[in-house]
Amino acid sequence: MNGDRDTIGITDLLAAFGRALFLQASWSFEQMQTAGFAYAIEPVLKKLYPDPAEYENRVKLHSEYFNTQPYFASFILGAAIRLEQDRATGRNAAADVSGFKAAMMAPLGALGDSFFWGALKPMAAVAAVAVAMDGSWWAPVLFLVLFNIWHLGLRLGMLFWGYTSGGDAVALMARYRFTKMARRFKVISLAMLGGILGMMQLWRVEFRPPLSSQPVALSLSGFFITLVLVAIMRRGGSPVKFMLGLAVFCLALAYAGVI
Amino acid sequence: MPAFDMHIILKILGIAFAGGVIGLDRTAVGQFMISQPIVVGPLTGWMLGEPAAGIIVGAALELIWVLDMPVGTFVPADATIGTVSATAIAALGAPYGATLPLIGFSILLSTAMVTMTMKAEGAVRTWNSRFSEKALSISGPHTGSALFRAQCAGIALFFLKSFVLYCIFIPLGIAATGLYRHLPSAFPRALSLFVKLLPLVGVALVVRKLTVKSFDQYVLAGFATAVLFGQLMHVPGVVVLLLTAAVGLIGVRYSERRS
Repeated sequence: MNGDRDTIGITDLLAAFGRALFLQASWSFEQMQTAGFAYAIEPVLKKLYPDPAEYENRVKLHSEYFNTQPYFASFILGAAIRLEQDRATGRNAAADVSGFKAAMMAPLGALGDSFFWGALKPMAAVAAVAVAMDGSWWAPVLFLVLFNIWHLGLRLGMLFWGYTSGGDAVALMARYRFTKMARRFKVISLAMLGGILGMMQLWRVEFRPPLSSQPVALSLSGFFITLVLVAIMRRGGSPVKFMLGLAVFCLALAYAGVI
Repeated sequence: MPAFDMHIILKILGIAFAGGVIGLDRTAVGQFMISQPIVVGPLTGWMLGEPAAGIIVGAALELIWVLDMPVGTFVPADATIGTVSATAIAALGAPYGATLPLIGFSILLSTAMVTMTMKAEGAVRTWNSRFSEKALSISGPHTGSALFRAQCAGIALFFLKSFVLYCIFIPLGIAATGLYRHLPSAFPRALSLFVKLLPLVGVALVVRKLTVKSFDQYVLAGFATAVLFGQLMHVPGVVVLLLTAAVGLIGVRYSERRS
């Protein structure tokens, strides 16, 4: 009956990882990632609970509301697999998988959003745009490599860490120092953004604004225009409004005969 | 007005299909960031024989949309549809190659599409709840296949949404390029300047989100490094970029040690 209960191996974890790539395939406002999480863990439950009634109960438990940052979901998935295994084998029959998921998803979601969307992605984007402005064709490759080395490494690493640690989130934070890394990525992005402005004379000709023919003056003009834009943007507004505002401003300059 | 012959129609359908598949990366599958403007712009441009137009659109839109984050139930603007559509309109709407003003015109058209893409995405996510609710309500040995069907239905819906929007936006945009040719001469001048100033708006948007300061010391340090090494010492652009990143890292580590 419980012949497979101790045999959650690397292939099961990799299969769960593969399914977790589809975590948001049926994302909805009401259920969010619930169906995706249940889909990712379902084969493991089938293996751990050969009794149909027990299997059904466990699937029902994982059909409860779930939503977190999609990459950090790997940690919760790995830990949930471990807790289910401990429960099925009787090592920890009282393992509260549902409570663990509910406790973890909000803080890890906030941390993941801040690290992946708020720090890593902008850093990769700024580096790639800087290279693209310079006229290099390999900017998209640079972006994908910079982002996915971290993304895939951490996503896979967190699944195994979640499994081996049984969901020790404190150890996860101590191991990866996400907050510190996020701050570093943000500062590197800011310095590279300054670098983009300082290299304006090297921009592709299509992007080089007709502000000055003297390279240093061109960069200084771009730098100060950006500072003014940042100050304006602090008052609020969406990217669409800023783009439309810029178009109207350019049109006004054209009609005024400035350009 | 450009003729919609079979050649153009096939190209539109091909781009709509490829864009639909790549768009799955935004939410439904993987999230490897292939769908980001800096990647999908050059890719679309390359497929349509206008790689330069793709790089210009991708680089300009990347910084604009990079920090529009999918947090909680917020549905961000679909930068993938915007980038693919803008590149396709610029490439297919110009019989003798995409000019800078036409690229600017296409980017503006894609900006007008943002609200519609967000509404369509919202509709897909609302519809998805029917699939996931149905799958999660099924119990017994067929739970696994019900979850699989819900995931597949969700993926199909996300794909269809993008495919249909491309099939509407790209032909409409190409038709609009016919009107663009009749605009007064001030418009092309304004649209050229619009493309040239767009990176400054992108840089300002990212700076605003990454720091609370209007005058950030790391942006200034990166700028000074780029001017010193790039303009006064004529160091190649990629090396300057690495130096600015290093300056940022050294600065943040120094600040960490002091605090």
